[in-house]
Amino acid sequence: MDTVKVQGNSWEDKLRYILLQAYSFPILVGLACAAIFAGTHMYVTHNVGAFNEIFVVRMLDEGLSGGDYAAAAGFAAGFLIARVLEGPLVGVLDIGGALMTGVGIGIPAMMLASGITLPIDNFIVSLITGAGIGLIIGAVIIIIRKFMPQGMSSAGTNIMMGAGNATGQYLGPLIIISAISFSIPAGVGAFVGAAIFYKFDKPVAGGAILGAMVLASFFAV
Amino acid sequence: MLAIIIKSIIIGVLGGAAVAAGAARMFHAPKVQSMGAFRTLGELNACKGDPVTHISFGLGFLFNAAASVVAAGALTQDVFHRVIPNWAAGALLFRNKNVEETLHDPAKMIFAGAIVGAVVVTFLNTVASVIPESMSFIAQQILGPAANLMINPVMPIIFWLAALDAGKTTGIWGTILGGLAHMIMGNAVPGIVLGILIGQSIEEYGYTRSTQVMITIVTILFITIAYFRGFFEKVLELF
Repeated sequence: MDTVKVQGNSWEDKLRYILLQAYSFPILVGLACAAIFAGTHMYVTHNVGAFNEIFVVRMLDEGLSGGDYAAAAGFAAGFLIARVLEGPLVGVLDIGGALMTGVGIGIPAMMLASGITLPIDNFIVSLITGAGIGLIIGAVIIIIRKFMPQGMSSAGTNIMMGAGNATGQYLGPLIIISAISFSIPAGVGAFVGAAIFYKFDKPVAGGAILGAMVLASFFAV
Repeated sequence: MLAIIIKSIIIGVLGGAAVAAGAARMFHAPKVQSMGAFRTLGELNACKGDPVTHISFGLGFLFNAAASVVAAGALTQDVFHRVIPNWAAGALLFRNKNVEETLHDPAKMIFAGAIVGAVVVTFLNTVASVIPESMSFIAQQILGPAANLMINPVMPIIFWLAALDAGKTTGIWGTILGGLAHMIMGNAVPGIVLGILIGQSIEEYGYTRSTQVMITIVTILFITIAYFRGFFEKVLELF
């Protein structure tokens, strides 16, 4: 399967060889998961630093403030399993669905729902927990790869990629609508900001929220 | 504040290194199992090895991430999907224009990614604390309802329509698993994703052993989640 050969003897050649082997994949997933899980620790303790989109982090918020983690756990765990099944089939593990949403939101939500708080409250423990989860996921993917017949469908990925990109586009208009129902200055700021960002080829959602924040705090209602 | 900076550097180094090395592995997929996203691969290729294009592409998403982190403390997925891989590639390409010796080389990308990751994550996590609290309160009040609409019903509909557009088999699998997921998990999206995966495999290869294995795993998954979320009890109450 992995047939990359060592080409040379310097430490960098050896590192390259190691980094292209099957066994180094779980290590890389472990490192990424350690960072993502610790990012969720950052969000819970410092209110900043979660590696995900606003609307996904918001689901975890619902659990943190109201104690109902069902939305976050169901949504994110489903994504995690779908992507872990898909990863070995297509050769690319989606770090957005599997790691950032599944490991970063779903697993913490399930832990918090069952009253396990230490891995989320303590930075060092969060790094170790994330690394452990990542190692397991990486190993499972490599094992599935060994047993699954090659050449499964990658067409499904294209469909989901299209849907995923469309999701991003909806956020801008949704923020503008939400800003308008918040207050008139916020609404004006949102659509003007969105128009300016659009003119300069920047994401519309960013312009909408920045414009709404600036005008709404200027003309406090 | 100091705690945020130190933690951000550690997180940025670990995550940046892993994501950049994973992105380099994508250029060796499917022979080598990699991690990232197909859109990341496409975008990295679209920059054609030009360092300025890579840097400015990443910068656009850094602005968006900064707005999101200021508003809600969420860094967006783009930090790992777009900013770090593109900036790590851009930094390496300034010194060597050959993508095979830079962007495709995990041994170089892992270090570039670690440095870029530390800088970007620390910058984003500290920029949020500079913003006055009243402003981030407004942002949360606006983003909350928008985010709720996004999760339900906008995202399920987008994924649902994508499944329906992909042919009869995929549409049927997506609809049934999506409906079940919305009942059992509270959101249709994971079910539709699984439906698309199964439907497309069947359309391309028929009911082979591997599609049967996948259907079995998904069935067990749904039953397990339904059991733990008390779905069967709710059904029993109907009688």
